[in-house]
Amino acid sequence: MIPVVALEPLKNCVLALAAAVLLLALFLVVDRGMAAIVRARTRRREPLLTRLVYQAVDECCGDASEFRRLSRLDRKLVRSILLGLALDLRGDTGDAIAAMYHALGFLKADLARLRSRRATTRASAAGDLGLIRSTGAVPALLQAFSDPDVRVRQAAVWAVGQAGGPAALHALIRLLGDPSRAVANRAQEVLAERGPEVVDAILAYTEHTSSRLGRLAAIELLGLLRVATCSPLLLRFMKDLDPEVRVKSVKAAAAVGDPRFLEALHGCLEDSSWAVRCQAAKGLSLFGSPASVPRLTAALRDQHWWVRFYAATGLAETGPTGEEALSSALSDPSSSVRDMARYLLERRAKQPALALP
Amino acid sequence: MILPRWGEAILVWYTGFILLFFFAINSYYLILTVVGFWRTLRVFKEVRRPDQRRLLRSPLTPPVSVLAPAFNEEANVVENVRSLLMLDYPNFEVILINDGSRDRTLGRLVDAFDLRRSARCFEYTLRCKPVRGIYESPIYPNLVVVDKENGGKADALNAGLDVSFYPLFCAIDADSILEPDALLRLVRPFIDAPGVTIAAGGVVRVANGCEIHGGRVHQVRLPVRALPLIQIVEYLRAFLFGRMGWSTGNTLLVISGAFGLFEKRAAVQAGGYATDSVGEDMELVVRMHRQRREQRQPYRIGFVPDPICWTEVPVSFRVLRRQRTRWQRGLIDTLIRHRTMIGRPRYGSVGMVSLPGFVIFEMLSPLIELSGYLVLPILWVLGLLSLSGAYTFFVLAIMYMILVSALAVLLEDVAFRRYPSVRDLGRLLIGAVLENFGFRQLTVWWRVRAFWEYLRGDLSWGAMERRGVGAA
Repeated sequence: MIPVVALEPLKNCVLALAAAVLLLALFLVVDRGMAAIVRARTRRREPLLTRLVYQAVDECCGDASEFRRLSRLDRKLVRSILLGLALDLRGDTGDAIAAMYHALGFLKADLARLRSRRATTRASAAGDLGLIRSTGAVPALLQAFSDPDVRVRQAAVWAVGQAGGPAALHALIRLLGDPSRAVANRAQEVLAERGPEVVDAILAYTEHTSSRLGRLAAIELLGLLRVATCSPLLLRFMKDLDPEVRVKSVKAAAAVGDPRFLEALHGCLEDSSWAVRCQAAKGLSLFGSPASVPRLTAALRDQHWWVRFYAATGLAETGPTGEEALSSALSDPSSSVRDMARYLLERRAKQPALALP
Repeated sequence: MILPRWGEAILVWYTGFILLFFFAINSYYLILTVVGFWRTLRVFKEVRRPDQRRLLRSPLTPPVSVLAPAFNEEANVVENVRSLLMLDYPNFEVILINDGSRDRTLGRLVDAFDLRRSARCFEYTLRCKPVRGIYESPIYPNLVVVDKENGGKADALNAGLDVSFYPLFCAIDADSILEPDALLRLVRPFIDAPGVTIAAGGVVRVANGCEIHGGRVHQVRLPVRALPLIQIVEYLRAFLFGRMGWSTGNTLLVISGAFGLFEKRAAVQAGGYATDSVGEDMELVVRMHRQRREQRQPYRIGFVPDPICWTEVPVSFRVLRRQRTRWQRGLIDTLIRHRTMIGRPRYGSVGMVSLPGFVIFEMLSPLIELSGYLVLPILWVLGLLSLSGAYTFFVLAIMYMILVSALAVLLEDVAFRRYPSVRDLGRLLIGAVLENFGFRQLTVWWRVRAFWEYLRGDLSWGAMERRGVGAA
């Protein structure tokens, strides 16, 4: 017999695999068992600890000594209760929660985790610090802005957005130009949540930054903030050489809704980039001004389908004059313009507002 | 001696080749398993972070068109559309494409949602069979039903893409059920890397046996029958390890047609879905890779393990056979269409790693596995292999597959724990064992048959008989 297969090693492999499968099955059962025990314990202890936490928070966290005697598992539970409460409570109660979190040593532990070698631990610590909104953690979080891991930077940005005062503003704005779009987007979201107080700083950044990505993100942010003070700057950027800057500016201008943009938007309907023309037509549909009717009617001849569509949408949104223009478009030589006019008139009759893409 | 010496030598060499292939394929699965395990746990930890949870409702969340092609789906279509309309997402439209159904699919939709014929205009950017009519609902402004002539799933998706308004589209099967937050979770890579992420896939799970009311999965349960149970283990392995593993190096080649999110512009630029392929989902993804690599544009095609779509799997061998042969034909077709990418450094890791991997370990593996089943008994008959040798080899292969499946069950339990009782866990492990006795061999045979069907030019889909999710 020719020895095709050496049997002994194969048999050992089979045994090893069988052992591995059994170990896995055992691990699954043990893991389930442990989880059930922890769940049962949590169910038993949580009401009592929650009551204690509420009492301590009500008393404005004067006394945390009662919690110091708790077991490790109970402390973990208290920590998760505090984080859960911090998610929804702000103001004085939020401050009391943060103070208690600090007094129990959780803040210190989180700051230590923020220096961990593992990126997931650092990111998780930053997230928890954001939940607790402790101003004491802001310097460490600002340092985390330069963390090499995107996840940590993202979590730190969010955390600073939750906790940081005016000092953190400039650091957040600088992140609009972060090479990772995930981080820049997070900074945009956080700054948008802060509202009009950040507008001046963003205007200054938009004007002076040398980062193209940063400028684009800042312009988009101005649109999210919808404050008229940014109009002069947006008007200038609507004539920028970079088509993407023009697209973002036109979009932001439409969101801001300042009447000063009307003329500029009319001009953008003749832009060389179809994306700018499209955004301009879309923006004009939000303005709904009868003065735009002739321009929008002309834009029905645009070579790009989406520009024609938004021009028709704009006409549908500009009241009787626009509807009249759309009715005339029903006999347009172009079938696509006729179809659009028919659709938008029909839609207008059924529903007052069209959900725009 | 039955065979001449050279015949014996060939057999021995071939056995050596099979052994080599066996170790290679197992190493391939092992690498995918390790990478998939590590990545899934990493994502799982990440999505639990408070900043991730809260900022899913970002003002930057892009609007999405959900495209659901339907063919003869009158049994479930209304409930499924209701479930889609209840999705937890800031701005989306549901476009159901009735692909020339011969039953009352359209009628049921018209009755249930008070649909009215609409003059909704669109541009035929992608070619598709003529659209007979578009319907909109005054009750649900974000519901659009496209009634078109029958042209197959890819054609229906192209029609849906033409009619859609939004920059992202989610392609799903009309009979699938998305978890309420599935879209929010799936859109994450698009928010994190706008313009770079062009496609992302989510997890498809088996709905057979689950308790479903009003288009929502209320209680996750395992099916009673063995066939769907085994498929649950298969799906866990494929999605949590396979897809997750491949997505690591931006080399993912398959995004399930049942649940994938795409950038509309990228899909249209790539030419939309191929109407002459039965593996249109994989074909589109490979074409998108190809186009981006040829144009040297940065892109990312990712996989997200936490958004979940529930789907009904076949409960009869007949339907399962059709499904599996179709999948294999789709795979063969896509790999042959894009054969010029294979082994070309120009296509980076896709051309050098994932496509060759798919050719060897996905396309050709059933042929080699089947030949292994045939060669081992021949060797034994010829006295070239002892019975214990053949037996040991067979048991080793089975043990390895059980280990990979058990790891998938473990990962599911650690990261998601969708099956709450220990009994379910035990049944899943039993499914992982049972799979290797008959089921695996049958699927190998069906996949081999698919080669023959492909050579015959068979492009049929075969009807998927629906029992209604939760019935099995």
